[in-house]
Formats: sequence, structure tokens, C-alpha cells
Amino acid sequence: MIPPHTSRVVEVKIPSELGYERVAREAAASVARRLGFSPERIEELKTAVAEACTNAIRHGSKSDARMKVVVVLTADDAKLDILVKDPGAGEAPPNQVIAPDIQAQIEGRSPTGGLGLWLIRQIVDQAYFEENEDGGHQFRMIIYRLTDDGQPASEDSHPVQANLENSNP
Amino acid sequence: MSEEIQVTIRFEKGATIIDLAGDVTTFAEEAIDKAYQTASSDGAHNIIFNFRQNDYINSAGIAILIGIVTEARKRDQRLLMTGLSNHFQKIFRMVGLTQYADLYPTLEEALDALEKAT
Repeated sequence: MIPPHTSRVVEVKIPSELGYERVAREAAASVARRLGFSPERIEELKTAVAEACTNAIRHGSKSDARMKVVVVLTADDAKLDILVKDPGAGEAPPNQVIAPDIQAQIEGRSPTGGLGLWLIRQIVDQAYFEENEDGGHQFRMIIYRLTDDGQPASEDSHPVQANLENSNP
Repeated sequence: MSEEIQVTIRFEKGATIIDLAGDVTTFAEEAIDKAYQTASSDGAHNIIFNFRQNDYINSAGIAILIGIVTEARKRDQRLLMTGLSNHFQKIFRMVGLTQYADLYPTLEEALDALEKAT
């Protein structure tokens, strides 16, 4: 029996090549299912993870498949902590995220781009870049499981234990 | 690791339907744009992008659709989008795409709406 409040860590390493973000996305969804995330919340998580990995591939390692993007998923009873690390071979992460002005884009007054990071910020509970001792970039996202009344789960709930017991009789 | 998207064009009840089967990401740009240009050169006025419920759409895919919306406004075309999951309906609303394209849960509902509008 797994005691409550025990973190579980899953690490996924993908080539820095567009398309492989799908692998990280599905891994995150699988972990979130075990945590008891709702299907809707899992869809949000999948979008956030895929966008973060796409940024790490395109901007953090210039889509060079010889490099790796590492995704560390740390699950506890209430939340999923997702760390996306890239080698830092590309441009520096942006200092601010600006909401997309679709009308300006359609009228040609504003370039497209930056939408992925903005979307992530709308979806997850916390998202920020961190210092990385290796010189690469490190982007952390935290997403809470929502309870039946739509509130973030507290540390007192133990759905992981229940799911594990159900799936491993 | 690209994944081919299947894009087909058909006509029904005066509308041009562009069926999309597969993930809508940067890899889909050429196929979607080609289908839209073909529909436009055939004189399409009402264009329905019919998504497959469980397919994935990322920000690059949304950017492709913003490009289509831009073209459609210049050509005075009406765009409709159907078959999106609840999640992507929400994302499209958040981004603001629904100001320029009408969302309907199903293709049948979109066709009914077009029929009533004529």
C-alpha cells in the first residue's frame, strides 16, 4: 500500500523534433488519469504540455533532433508538477506574455506567434521559467486536480491511492 | 515525426465542407491551405471546417486557422467550424476565433443554420 502524500516521478526524454511532443503529452495524460483528473482537466493538461514541449523544441533547441527535451512529471495527491527542460541552444525565454490580439493579426497589424505560452498561462495554475544550473532553459507548470465542486484539490485528498488500489487488485 | 492529416472537400446543401482528419499542427498547414484555396477558387461562399472530435489542435494549428479567417474576410466568405471537442471549443473562444467563425457542435447543425439563413 502506498502511503498518502508520496510523490511519484515520471521522466520522459524526447528528441528535439516537432511531433515528439505527442509522446510527452500522452505520458502526462496517463499520469493525470492515475491522479484522478477529470477528462476535461486532462485535455487542458495535454494542451499545456504539448505547447511547452513545442516551445522547448522550436526555441530552446532549434528543432535539432540530436538534442533532447526532458519532461519531469511529479505527481502528488493534489497536483501535477511538470518541468520541461531544454538545452538552451536557442533564444532566451520571453520576459512577458502578451495576450493575442486576433483582430490586429487578421488586419495585419500584429504578427502571429506567442500564442502557445499565453494558452499555457490561461490553462494551468502556475507557469514560470526557472534558472537552470546546466545553462539550459527550464519551464515549470503546476496544475491542480479539481474536486467535484471545481475547486483545486487539497493535499488531504488521496485519489492516487484509490486509483492504484482499483487498478491493481 | 510528422503525421499526415487527411483533408477532403465535399459539397452539401450549398456549403463547401472541408473535412479534417488528423492533428492540426504545423504539419497540416500546406494541406489545409490548399483545400481552402481550392474551395475559394471554386467560388465557395459558405465554408465549413469539419474537425474530427478526438484530434489534437495546437497553437500552430490555430495560427493556420487565423490565416484562413484573414483570407475569408477579404473574400467575404462565411466560415463555420464543427466537430470540435468541448476543450477545443473553449480554446477557440479564449483565443477569439469565434468572433470570425461560427462554431456548431455537429455538421448537421451547421448545415441547418445555413439553410435557415438563406
